[in-house]
Amino acid sequence: MASSSTQVFAKALKLSALLVVSVAVICSIIGYLVVGVDGLWTALIGSAIALVFTSLTVLSVLFGARLPLGGFYGLVLGGWLLKIVLFALLMAALQRMDFIHGPTLFFAIVLSVLGSLSIDSWVVLRSRIPTIDSRD
Amino acid sequence: MDAVNIAELSGNIAVVGYGLAAIGPGIGVGLVVSKTIESIARQPELAGKLQVTMWLGIAFTEALALIGLATPFIFV
Repeated sequence: MASSSTQVFAKALKLSALLVVSVAVICSIIGYLVVGVDGLWTALIGSAIALVFTSLTVLSVLFGARLPLGGFYGLVLGGWLLKIVLFALLMAALQRMDFIHGPTLFFAIVLSVLGSLSIDSWVVLRSRIPTIDSRD
Repeated sequence: MDAVNIAELSGNIAVVGYGLAAIGPGIGVGLVVSKTIESIARQPELAGKLQVTMWLGIAFTEALALIGLATPFIFV
């Protein structure tokens, strides 16, 4: 695994987690003020889901890069497929829960996902990855 | 089904939405990965750099899938 790309992934993970935590705080305050305790829980659940699902992509690339090329794509794409199926099932399950406030959950997920995307892009743009990297 | 109604459908149209939310990102990820494989085959020494770029591409297409699958919470 190229050490410089490991640093990029680690930095992206750390900053995304920080951003999602701040989105969770803001959304849970807004959710609490608008809907009450249900809104607070919904916002926390939404942000947690977004954090887990966006971090899994980074982790699959991070660990997959240690494998040979076939293993890398197997892990990244297999992980992606599994993640989307899990996410669809989770959304279907959450729709049946009474305490979930739909719009709060949606906006918590969307804000967290878009926020972590911006952080990822920013980290990649700011990173200095050598064109030819030594692999250890 | 009666004799007049020959094309009756039953179910929830939102399921079609789930399907559409999967098609777009599926094509997107497929393109990102196929081009990365092609590039690594051409220049294996660039693998590290290409994998980071690929991750960003996957993250963007995945965001579309996550948002698409979460829409039932505001549209239904």
